[in-house]
Amino acid sequence: MVMQYELKTMYKFEVEDLNAWFGSKQVLKNIRMKIRDRKVTAIIGPSGCGKTTLLRCLNRMHETTPNARVSGKVFFNGINIYDEDVDPVQIRRKMGMIFQKPNPFPMMSIYDNVAIGLRLNGVKDRKKLDSIVERCLRMVGLWEEVKDELNASGVSLSGGQQQRLCIARALAVEPEVILMDEPTSALDPISAAKIEMLIRNLAKDYTVVIVTHNMQQAARVSDYTAFLYLGELVEYGPTKQIFEKPRNELTEKYITGSFG
Amino acid sequence: MGRLIDSGLEQVRNMLVRMSSLAHEAISLSLEGYINGVSTYLKVQETSEILVSTSDEVEDRVFELIARFQPVASDLRLLKSYMKISYNLARYGRYALDISQIYEKLDGLGLCEDWVRKHVEEMAGKVLEMIRLSIDLLEERDVKMAKPLSELEKQVDEMYFKFLDKLIDETSGVTKCIISSVLVVRYLERIADHATYIGESIVYIVTGERIMLR
Amino acid sequence: MRDSYSIRRIKDRLMLILVWSSLILALIPLFSILLEVFFNGVRAISLEFFILPTPTVGETGGIANAIQGTLVTLGLASLMGVPIGLMTGVFLSEYGGSKLSYLVRFINDVLTGLPSIVIGIFGYTLIVASIGFSVVAASFALAIIMIPIVARTTEEALKLVPASIREAALALGIQRWKTTVFIVLSGAKKGIVTGVLLALARIAGESAPILVTMGYWRWWFSGFNKPVSNLALNIYLFAISPFENWRVLAWGSALFLMVLMLGINILIRVLTREKY
Repeated sequence: MVMQYELKTMYKFEVEDLNAWFGSKQVLKNIRMKIRDRKVTAIIGPSGCGKTTLLRCLNRMHETTPNARVSGKVFFNGINIYDEDVDPVQIRRKMGMIFQKPNPFPMMSIYDNVAIGLRLNGVKDRKKLDSIVERCLRMVGLWEEVKDELNASGVSLSGGQQQRLCIARALAVEPEVILMDEPTSALDPISAAKIEMLIRNLAKDYTVVIVTHNMQQAARVSDYTAFLYLGELVEYGPTKQIFEKPRNELTEKYITGSFG
Repeated sequence: MGRLIDSGLEQVRNMLVRMSSLAHEAISLSLEGYINGVSTYLKVQETSEILVSTSDEVEDRVFELIARFQPVASDLRLLKSYMKISYNLARYGRYALDISQIYEKLDGLGLCEDWVRKHVEEMAGKVLEMIRLSIDLLEERDVKMAKPLSELEKQVDEMYFKFLDKLIDETSGVTKCIISSVLVVRYLERIADHATYIGESIVYIVTGERIMLR
Repeated sequence: MRDSYSIRRIKDRLMLILVWSSLILALIPLFSILLEVFFNGVRAISLEFFILPTPTVGETGGIANAIQGTLVTLGLASLMGVPIGLMTGVFLSEYGGSKLSYLVRFINDVLTGLPSIVIGIFGYTLIVASIGFSVVAASFALAIIMIPIVARTTEEALKLVPASIREAALALGIQRWKTTVFIVLSGAKKGIVTGVLLALARIAGESAPILVTMGYWRWWFSGFNKPVSNLALNIYLFAISPFENWRVLAWGSALFLMVLMLGINILIRVLTREKY
């Protein structure tokens, strides 16, 4: 019984026969994969291979794009998030999302940026908000840098700080999963290294799925790597295995840079 | 600020530390057995096997770190040296096994003249000291410690040739003893060489320079 | 070589002179109007001018009742026009893309280009016919003028808010309407305020729709179902009157309205300058 229980909770997501379209163009084809709990899973692949779409299907953000369509199942904690009676807003609340370009809310202070998710979900208690804002800013290593200017605008920070602010904002609503879409591609190497460190730390408490076009980054931060090509999942396995002895010839070609 | 590669480097380092204590244990055990006339083969074999498999693990881990973290400069030197060191530590285990095997096949120093026994004991002492030195060097990374290592190696070398000369000139002893002692002395000389290789690797880690301690 | 160079230089000079003289030509009427209004208007300015209502013949009076009436009319028009314009703008920007929104945008553009007298007559047939010349009727007509302006500027302002901001909010598990109201609208505050001011400046100077919906009234505000005095209309009526003191008040009103417009425009400039 215990074994069964553990097996069930090992996976945060179970993707089954997932297909996705933009208009008439199919961008994901029969994706099947299981994403482990409290691990970092990286999705790599050339531009346009559908890796961002796959990520956005995990929190039902794909369908917010006009003409976008999805079929198939994505089980999150055992519940198919594409069931008719599932509210996408509730699903998104359990998954923080980090985007390619840091996107703090421009007219809001640093404090409000972190607190807004809770505020709009009905948390009014100032003391509670204070403590959550501090905890989240500490988790992303920003507290010491901004604690004296919490009322300054979020966009006054540097790019790397803004991205960490966005991570703090996502953490504030207490998600179980962090989805990251090329979170360091707009940052300098030092800021990127800080984010990578942060990703490893987050994996202690959260399931992290990261899309990256930087293979080395996938190698550095992830426990499992999925290689996507032309909308198909070519190979998926432990990162060590993917980067040392990939099973598929395409994967080998892609990661050694001898593509096409 | 910590780095992603740091925990991996630490892990490999710990593996090497564990290996070095095993290697030291294997060599001192086999030498003691050889000198005192006790069979240690099975025990040493076990330790030697662990050393070989750990060395494989180190190699594996080092390759993973290179593939995943693209180390450069001091990190790269460190990984390169770690691989060499783990190989040398595995060799320690192999020679220990060879020594305990000689005892199995040719007996110890029981049939030998006194001076042979003394010479072997003295050499064994020096070699064990070298091993300890090489291990300390690995842990402390103090380049100054490389010097005594180099001196000891010279002494062991001299003792080795002296032993051969003396054997040719003086002895009229038992063949079994002669073969046995010559082989052991030869292994001791080899072990001493490997201790200096480790020393050289440490110096390379710290300074980036390649030196010869022999 | 030398010749062609000097010819080119002469051509260049000629063009420059042409451009400059056109500019001066265009500025002459503008400045003559401004100066005319200013010098004539200044004569009317006094304390009484701001605190007394419309005088009878020969007496001293002011435009206080017209200022009050204009404010009441503009206020009521904003109350009706701004929310509808704002919501239309939100619809076009946030829920646009459908056939309906293309239609709405088209109608909106047509409405912007409609002569204001036509809108006035529309207000007349719809409201004046039932409750008579009144503040309500005038405000209604002015509100209709406001709506397309507010809608258009709101849409533009909302479109300036990057899509990534909306995505960030949605991904935080914030409902669509909360995202629109608390995140997107608050991000476009300045642009929207600018649009409202722009619309206000436009209707403050309208006299034609006022004429057909409210008509002339020389007393203070006495109810929404009654007319009130109006600055822009007063300028027209006072200017063509035979009474000297009214004609002076017309100049004064013109100056006052001009300064008001200038103020609003400066405010808009200040607001838009800080943006991004």
